[in-house]
Amino acid sequence: MSECITKDDFRRMVAGAAAEIRLNHLMLGELDCAAGDGDHGATMLRAVEKLEKAFALDGTDDLKICLSAAGWSVLGVDGGASSSLLGVFFGGMADAGSNDLTDMFEAGLAAVRKQTKAQPGDKTMMDALVPAIIALRRAANAGKSLEEALYDAAASARAGAEATRNLQARYGRAKFLGAKTLGVPDPGATSISLLFEGFYNGLTSSKGEPTNA
Amino acid sequence: MKMKKFINRPENIVAELLEGFALSHQDKIRLVGNNLVARAVPKAKGKVGVVTLGGSGHEPGLSGFVGEGMLDVSVPGEIFAAPGAPRCLEAIRLADYGAGVLFIVLNHAGDVLSANLTMEMAKRAGLNVKMTLTHEDISGGPNPDDRRGLVGFLPVYKVAGAAAEEGQPFDACFEIAERMGRNMRTLAVAVETATHPSTGQPIFELPDDEMEIGMGQHGEAGTGRMKLKAADETAEIMLNMLLSDLDVKAGEELLVIVNGAGATTLMELFILFRRVDQILKAKEIKLARAKVGEFITTQEQAGFQLMIARMDQELIRLWDAPSNAPYFVVR
Repeated sequence: MSECITKDDFRRMVAGAAAEIRLNHLMLGELDCAAGDGDHGATMLRAVEKLEKAFALDGTDDLKICLSAAGWSVLGVDGGASSSLLGVFFGGMADAGSNDLTDMFEAGLAAVRKQTKAQPGDKTMMDALVPAIIALRRAANAGKSLEEALYDAAASARAGAEATRNLQARYGRAKFLGAKTLGVPDPGATSISLLFEGFYNGLTSSKGEPTNA
Repeated sequence: MKMKKFINRPENIVAELLEGFALSHQDKIRLVGNNLVARAVPKAKGKVGVVTLGGSGHEPGLSGFVGEGMLDVSVPGEIFAAPGAPRCLEAIRLADYGAGVLFIVLNHAGDVLSANLTMEMAKRAGLNVKMTLTHEDISGGPNPDDRRGLVGFLPVYKVAGAAAEEGQPFDACFEIAERMGRNMRTLAVAVETATHPSTGQPIFELPDDEMEIGMGQHGEAGTGRMKLKAADETAEIMLNMLLSDLDVKAGEELLVIVNGAGATTLMELFILFRRVDQILKAKEIKLARAKVGEFITTQEQAGFQLMIARMDQELIRLWDAPSNAPYFVVR
């Protein structure tokens, strides 16, 4: 079934995602210390701040315009590959043919795939992003509600992120660390799982402030 | 171990270091727009612009090489993190003097991602830009995609910047940058880690009595972890790997750069270079030019990068051409 969403729906999803990142940014930094330089939490904080700002802008109710602006401003976070790919993801959603959430997320993923050859299994954000979006599509095809679909997506992202614990990095800077990356989940995949968790929380919260429940 | 650095708030490091850098070289460079480092006196119209990007925390790389005869604009990112495409695009517009812009990119995942996005946006905006990728770190294996860009950016900035300054056409500047890139090889070795200045975390761990050959710019593991060796033996191992990879023959002319990683002293770098020179002489390879010092660092990491590059007469002439870049003055 088709589930069109509005700017306000997405604003609440973004607020939920920002709350999740704020709650967990220290943990993201610690994960990143194992295989990176420990700045992933700080990068994600800056990214969600930009996202929130883009959706707080008055003057337009057009979701696509907000997503374009959000994508551009996340690109400007200057946080290396993670912020660039997130910026591409949100900006790419604006290229979807409709305001259907699944179409938009798929368009975002397609834009990311144009920029990185990383595949699930390489221990990157793709390990959470790809299963999340597959779950969204599956839920949509099964006629589930938007809330149910996001619930499934968050669960799949979480499982994907958790599974990166047993993977060896094959992409990005961490690939040079090889077996040293075993045993610790990928920070980028973990961030994606937190974002989806937050999208779900934000969308299902009453139309006021999001909760972290 | 507690980090001992003279910084203020971690989130202000990049802004404050750029401010201090610009203030200390007011005659040569200035900060423009969103913290882009640009020449104080822009290049004349009709010449090729030269732009680069890269994370901060590697001073004097990369912005220390903005100046007449080298870069027009550099785009500094956060600590060890590439800047995003919007500021790179802004830099390219700034360095567009009507003859095309050469975009020099060091091969690191984040930098390449930003650079590719920038190139797409620049093409859509109708800008005339060509990107050249430096990837000369032989520890990445035979596949050029896996070879990182290390101190080899220096000769590429220098020869391409000199060609642009003397008014060579866009295609020629691009060809010179690519030729320099194809003919250089670098290998790094690390003996002590550095701390990330924002997070206070060590960027890698290495036992007291070991060194790692092939260590990347940010402590990415190499392939050759071994017991610490004396200068001569270390230089010999590394130089032989480089000579073999570049397939250098007797009689050929090389540029050699020994780049300190931050905590390795000039004293040590000179001792290492002396051994490099001895080996080259024994193999009847000519030392065309040499440079020993700190061009790209990683905080207080100890270790060095050894770079060799096969030079021809034009590359030597461009290497010798004048530059007023704050950290690469040639008169």
